[in-house]
Amino acid sequence: MSYIDVLREAKDQVTPGMSACQGCGGELILRKALQIAGENTIIGIPPGCMAGAGVVGWNYANGLKIPVHIPLLDNSAAFFSGLSQMYQRKGRKDTNIVVLAGDGATADCGFQSLSAAAERGEKLLYICYDNEGYMNTGYQRSSTTTKGSRTSTTPIGSVVKGKTQQQKYVPLIIAMHNVEFCATASPSNMADFVAKVQKGLAASKNGFAYLHVFSPCPTGWGYAPDQGIEVARRAVKANMFPLWEMDRGEFKLNDENRKPITIAEFVKGIGKFKALSDEDIAAIQAMVDHRFEMLKRLAGK
Amino acid sequence: MGTKKVLTGNYAAAEAAALCRPDLVAAYPITPQSSVVEHIAEMVNNGDLDAAMVQVESEHSAMSVVQGAAAGGGRVFTATSAQGLALMFEPYFRMSTLRLPMVMAIATREMTSPETVWSGQQDAISVRDAGWIQVFCESNQEIIDMVIQGYMIAEDQRVMIPVNVCYDGFYSSHLTEGIDLPTQEEVDQFLPPMAPDNHPVLDPNNPFALDPMTAGPLLMKYRKNHLEAMHRALDVIDEVDAKFAKAFGRSYGGAIEEYRCDDADIVLVTIGGMSGTGKDAVDIAREKGIKVGLIKLRFIRPFPAERIAKALSGKKAFCVIDRSVCFGWSQGPMYMETKAALADTDSKFCHFSAIGGLGGADISLQEMLDTIDYLEANKNEPGEKETRWFLKD
Repeated sequence: MSYIDVLREAKDQVTPGMSACQGCGGELILRKALQIAGENTIIGIPPGCMAGAGVVGWNYANGLKIPVHIPLLDNSAAFFSGLSQMYQRKGRKDTNIVVLAGDGATADCGFQSLSAAAERGEKLLYICYDNEGYMNTGYQRSSTTTKGSRTSTTPIGSVVKGKTQQQKYVPLIIAMHNVEFCATASPSNMADFVAKVQKGLAASKNGFAYLHVFSPCPTGWGYAPDQGIEVARRAVKANMFPLWEMDRGEFKLNDENRKPITIAEFVKGIGKFKALSDEDIAAIQAMVDHRFEMLKRLAGK
Repeated sequence: MGTKKVLTGNYAAAEAAALCRPDLVAAYPITPQSSVVEHIAEMVNNGDLDAAMVQVESEHSAMSVVQGAAAGGGRVFTATSAQGLALMFEPYFRMSTLRLPMVMAIATREMTSPETVWSGQQDAISVRDAGWIQVFCESNQEIIDMVIQGYMIAEDQRVMIPVNVCYDGFYSSHLTEGIDLPTQEEVDQFLPPMAPDNHPVLDPNNPFALDPMTAGPLLMKYRKNHLEAMHRALDVIDEVDAKFAKAFGRSYGGAIEEYRCDDADIVLVTIGGMSGTGKDAVDIAREKGIKVGLIKLRFIRPFPAERIAKALSGKKAFCVIDRSVCFGWSQGPMYMETKAALADTDSKFCHFSAIGGLGGADISLQEMLDTIDYLEANKNEPGEKETRWFLKD
């Protein structure tokens, strides 16, 4: 079935009234992932934009049509390890156990429990929507924030301009945990995204599956809400966010991107990058080129 | 009848947890708790215990994994000490406020700094306001019996609060005692499996949000319910003690144990393993004609204020010996709480706090005897005396 038919026929699992910003990448990722996962799913959404947008419920009400729990910012993978273990024990191995967490809950304070759950091979699908910062609380920097970004904790000052460090590349670190399935995806490449959510759900029945998704944020990053998919597409094209997957140890580059655009082209018109110096752009370009070469070698190219 | 065995406190806790047929155990090693989880892992790997054993990377994850399993309808167990308990504080507080039942053993240990791995009760005492039920044990037999009773109390619909079974690190965790280990059949008869509808379970067949964002007015109702359930637990503790006595022939007197208090003028109030030394001191002082008794604090959450006030009623003097401190007061925490329990009584006591046994230091028989002598000498002078430190040279 074509991915368009998959999405057309699957029911939306989000209840009306979710309050994400216009053009939110995270909301798109949540809705599409849950459409594919379907009703036989339990999801964990730790504090962050999606939790803040109300899908984890309010007072007595649920924000989703499936069971949801908001774990702590730093224990999603551990809490859902325990839940998954109970579902294995109860013989209900077909139930999808899914975590959808931002980059803060994934790459920063939740990283330890994520790494441990991946190492233990817990049977769950962990999806990180990476908007490169703590957007729900006003865009503080995280370890996945791109160098030079303007955030509320790395402001454009007269001495220091934006984040001084390069981003941490979480998906490759998780891939090195001998996990069942690990991949990157972007809402700009929906066929690829749908296929990877499907593969991830299937892989989560045998072990740990991880999906790292580019999640453009108009509010925090400073671009018009209707430009999100375009920003995501440019990130893929500039190798800022390469698309690859690792299926039981087999590493594959999904898009060799033979005609990449430059980082200078990627950052154009995005507010958080407006104070980037030529040196910053060159440094990001060098990091991106080096990383893409490494990914190509991993894929045997 | 059970089996006579010689076990350390940690093995006693592990054997008792296994007898309760947990679905899942998650734990991380820390001195002096480690042999609890080592022994459980041994039982699982030898096929003697049918439970999922999750070897986590931290105590934070230990409590998180068991929380997830409990939210999935499982009976769960873990154990920790000191720094591990401090690290797990975030999901620890959430376990009780999610009102998920479980039992966690704490082999109590002093908190760092200075760097220490030895005994003390500062760890468990410092988290006494995190919403858990806490019981302190004197003997390895009591550890076994309270783990088993712990599940019955925690899973009672009038309670639904997780239970800490605390015992002194090294003094109890590592020293052996003769115990009577109940058989599986006996425990199965006493403690039925947790009912599937014991508490709401995350399940696609019944989709709901577990712990949605909650507004203050509703949150306050949850807190009030929690406090009321904690208070109701006092009755349940007595009921379960009686039920246990009927099944196994052992009773601990419920939330407190009173030892030779009936005709006593002066009373030592103790907690945990030091109570054994205290009882010996009472016996020796009694031979000298001093009318002394002892109250062993067993459950400190809920705090059995009424029973303590009743037990101390008509007495002339008391001293509460703490194996931890209450920062902000130059006194021990259980002393502070005992005083609070007496606030509405008319009695005029001679009373004071004693602090000893920190960082693994012994609380000696002589220190107990000296304290009894001091109480006896001052029993007719109502008022608070200076805090007594069991310092060693």
